[in-house]
Amino acid sequence: MSVENGKIKLELENISKSYKVKKKDFLVVDNISLEVCKNEFLVLLGPGLSGKTVLLNIIAGIEEPSSGKIFLDGEQIYGTHRSICMVFQKIGLLPWKTVMGNTEIGLKLSGVPKRIRRKTAQKFIEMVGLKGFENAYPHQLSGGMKQRVGIARAYTNNPDILILDEPFGQLDAQTRYSMQDEILRIWEIQKKTIIFVTNNIEEAIYLGERIILFGKCPAKVKEVYDIKLQRPRNNMDPDFLKLRKLISSNMDIDLGV
Amino acid sequence: METKKTRFIKKAFYLLLSLSSIALLIIGWIFLASRRPGLFPSPQETWDRLILFLEKPLRGPLYKHVWDSLRRVVIAVAAACGLGVIFGTALGWSRLFKSTFGTIFEIIRPIPPIAWVPLITIWFGIGEFPKILLVFIGTFAIVVINTAAGVMMAEPLYLAVGKIFQANNFQMIREIVLPASIPAIFAGIRTALGVGWAIVLAAEMLGSISGTGFLIARGMQIGDTALIFICMFIIGIIGALLSLFASFIERRVCPWRTEK
Repeated sequence: MSVENGKIKLELENISKSYKVKKKDFLVVDNISLEVCKNEFLVLLGPGLSGKTVLLNIIAGIEEPSSGKIFLDGEQIYGTHRSICMVFQKIGLLPWKTVMGNTEIGLKLSGVPKRIRRKTAQKFIEMVGLKGFENAYPHQLSGGMKQRVGIARAYTNNPDILILDEPFGQLDAQTRYSMQDEILRIWEIQKKTIIFVTNNIEEAIYLGERIILFGKCPAKVKEVYDIKLQRPRNNMDPDFLKLRKLISSNMDIDLGV
Repeated sequence: METKKTRFIKKAFYLLLSLSSIALLIIGWIFLASRRPGLFPSPQETWDRLILFLEKPLRGPLYKHVWDSLRRVVIAVAAACGLGVIFGTALGWSRLFKSTFGTIFEIIRPIPPIAWVPLITIWFGIGEFPKILLVFIGTFAIVVINTAAGVMMAEPLYLAVGKIFQANNFQMIREIVLPASIPAIFAGIRTALGVGWAIVLAAEMLGSISGTGFLIARGMQIGDTALIFICMFIIGIIGALLSLFASFIERRVCPWRTEK
């Protein structure tokens, strides 16, 4: 394992999930076991509709697995957990709250006094570069700014593990690149265990310390890659391109059917 | 191509069209009035009647009658909103509550408010309370249904956000579910104000000594068609104002909702 001290933070043990569709079991996540190290930047790469989101929801505790166990710091957990937070694919900012209101919500719900939670939230709003937008409502923000709020909201809650579900999927290419640098910058100053999901190979190689490649639905681990490229990475670098070629040859193509 | 000039001409044309339709209405009114004097008061007679009314009040000045009706509606609808939002939220959120009270609610709901009049009159007479109660009965269900629908259709993503930040049941409702349901709740309130305004008139027509409904019923009893006309105008205007009032409150309460 490529990661400093290699201490295991999160462990999935034989996680499966199936839904009943027309009285038939439809398997979405197929017996996944994996380990995530402390402060690792792990990327889950897979084609669209591969059940990645369901797996994330299970880790985050929003959905229950049909079978299998999840261990956090060696202890089995059930449902949502204070140390695990998620940045949703569709961001999910609450439209009735301002940037500040959205960012501080985690602390508000856990009963942190207003003055303290404001201060913490302010710190992360500034960290994602949204100083001056504290009182703006989500509908007044661009897509990239909304995603920054989503990230600030998750960081403000100070989780150990941060799950990002295709967070930049709906951004234009330019914003996407700058957000990738942004997330790396934030990860450098505020080390956390990050589980980053994407369907974009370049994004995966650019960000990840380790890439877990998923096959088509049902989600199951196909291949694991340790990425040892120097940061900052360059997507024109020969080693980068070699990896890209290797991973794409193993990736199932999503025909979108 | 649309130049500034043609755009102006177009605008003027449409304005002219709507003005002429109003003119046509008034001409038709004058024409009908001339054919059936007494039964169909002319604009002039209606206006004179209004002036006369303002000089010689009929069981109180005009504004007092309007105010009496409005007060009854506002009190009743406010109560219906307060209780209706609570009941509707419980109905939409809790399976337990729904299976306990949902059926009773569904049985009582289809009874039109007017069908309650005899019972309410026998129980409570014809004072102020029974009228407010009647409007309440007619509007409560509207608020409940809208709130419950809003709660049940609350965006799952917002619920997931509440869940990931470990909101308890109460926080979930206060921070996530209710704000998410506000558009539906306000749709209910707007409808409730309109329906409430209709019910209060009916209640006042059936037995009252004040209010717009009393006034219009009195016009019928004494064959004063001009008075009836005045009341109908006022009723229309107030109805429109109530709807505007609801939109105004909604904009004040939810600054995050963009103008569409």
